[in-house]
Amino acid sequence: MFNIERGGEEHRKLSYKDKNCVGCGICVDVCPTDSLRLGPIVPIARGLIEMDLVSVNQESCVFCGLCSVACPFDALSLSIEGTDVKDIKSYPKWDIESEVHDEDCIYCGRCYAVCPQDSIIFRRNLPNPVDLVRGEMDIDEEQCIYCSFCADMCPAGAILIKNIPTASNDALNNSIEVDLSKCIFCGICKRVCPEDAINQVCSTCMYYDEIEEVEITGETLISESSCVYCSWCSKICPVDAITISKPFEGTLELVENDEKVCKGDSCHACLDVCPCNAVKIEDGKSVTDLNFCNLCGACVTACPQDIRVLSRTSMKLNNVNSESWNEILNTLLIGK
Amino acid sequence: MAVKIDPDVCGHIANCPVQGLCIKLCEQGAIIEEDGDVKIVPENCDDCDLCIQNCPNQAISKA
Repeated sequence: MFNIERGGEEHRKLSYKDKNCVGCGICVDVCPTDSLRLGPIVPIARGLIEMDLVSVNQESCVFCGLCSVACPFDALSLSIEGTDVKDIKSYPKWDIESEVHDEDCIYCGRCYAVCPQDSIIFRRNLPNPVDLVRGEMDIDEEQCIYCSFCADMCPAGAILIKNIPTASNDALNNSIEVDLSKCIFCGICKRVCPEDAINQVCSTCMYYDEIEEVEITGETLISESSCVYCSWCSKICPVDAITISKPFEGTLELVENDEKVCKGDSCHACLDVCPCNAVKIEDGKSVTDLNFCNLCGACVTACPQDIRVLSRTSMKLNNVNSESWNEILNTLLIGK
Repeated sequence: MAVKIDPDVCGHIANCPVQGLCIKLCEQGAIIEEDGDVKIVPENCDDCDLCIQNCPNQAISKA
């Protein structure tokens, strides 16, 4: 993380948040004064070096803000007189989104489990299972021999035998208890009891219509500041409740030649730096699933064989009003 | 083909900014620590070039 400032007629401040940075180097590629530097992304990704992915030369930075508008991941922001340029009308804006449609979400949590960046905030309220069953359960302590078959087999953990005999325990002082807030009247205890000490009746089916409808409520939110637009969440969502639009369109290919070939498991630098969990090593070669790739290009920088070819064909950065900026930004579209 | 280390440029672990980054990066056991210094085991090298790319002193090159 860094914050650098410039006073004068306008107060300008450039802030960098390392936690949002994916190490793609787009900022470095567009900086007109070569003031930004990308650190060693592979050792950083492997936890061998602790440092920010991007550093800045404060002496040469002119606080133009091109890096901040080009970063699709909100890792850099330039503010002028306290206003982020992303909120200033005349500045370019990314037309990208990651959104959960509340009306469609069933709160299954699959998106939350799969997100490679932990960008999804998820909570849900499940009904209490006991509210969905009906029945009766009673243990005749006169007949119980405290064998604990029932307690050991109860899938709901509803039966507790106290004072299980041990060397230091009074084996004659046993007791058995049923926690009715856990019992689902499945009847396993009754079936396994060798003494017929358990009386249990399940009436869930009989009262089926009286039992309240199941309503699962919750909240699923994507933190846009840390989302990398990989679209794992939208692809895995069983009810199509998530929309992700990616910053770039294009392709990423592995192009080997006589001298340079992918070393797969020996290297796996691409896999380590990929923020999208889109890279796998299969049969000794790196395989990128473009469904999940955001075309950030971090793997291209990381590949020591330099055999990854990224071709971005379009980018969703709109409202670029400066011709010189447009020219620089268009260099991102040429193969990296 | 393996790699070679320029002894004049190498930090020899003690003076390496990352105390032997190449050793930590190489998962093939082709660069190991021996007597406090860096040693190359050519037969283990898979020519992935990760060490060449990431050496902070740019001391490693193709043999």
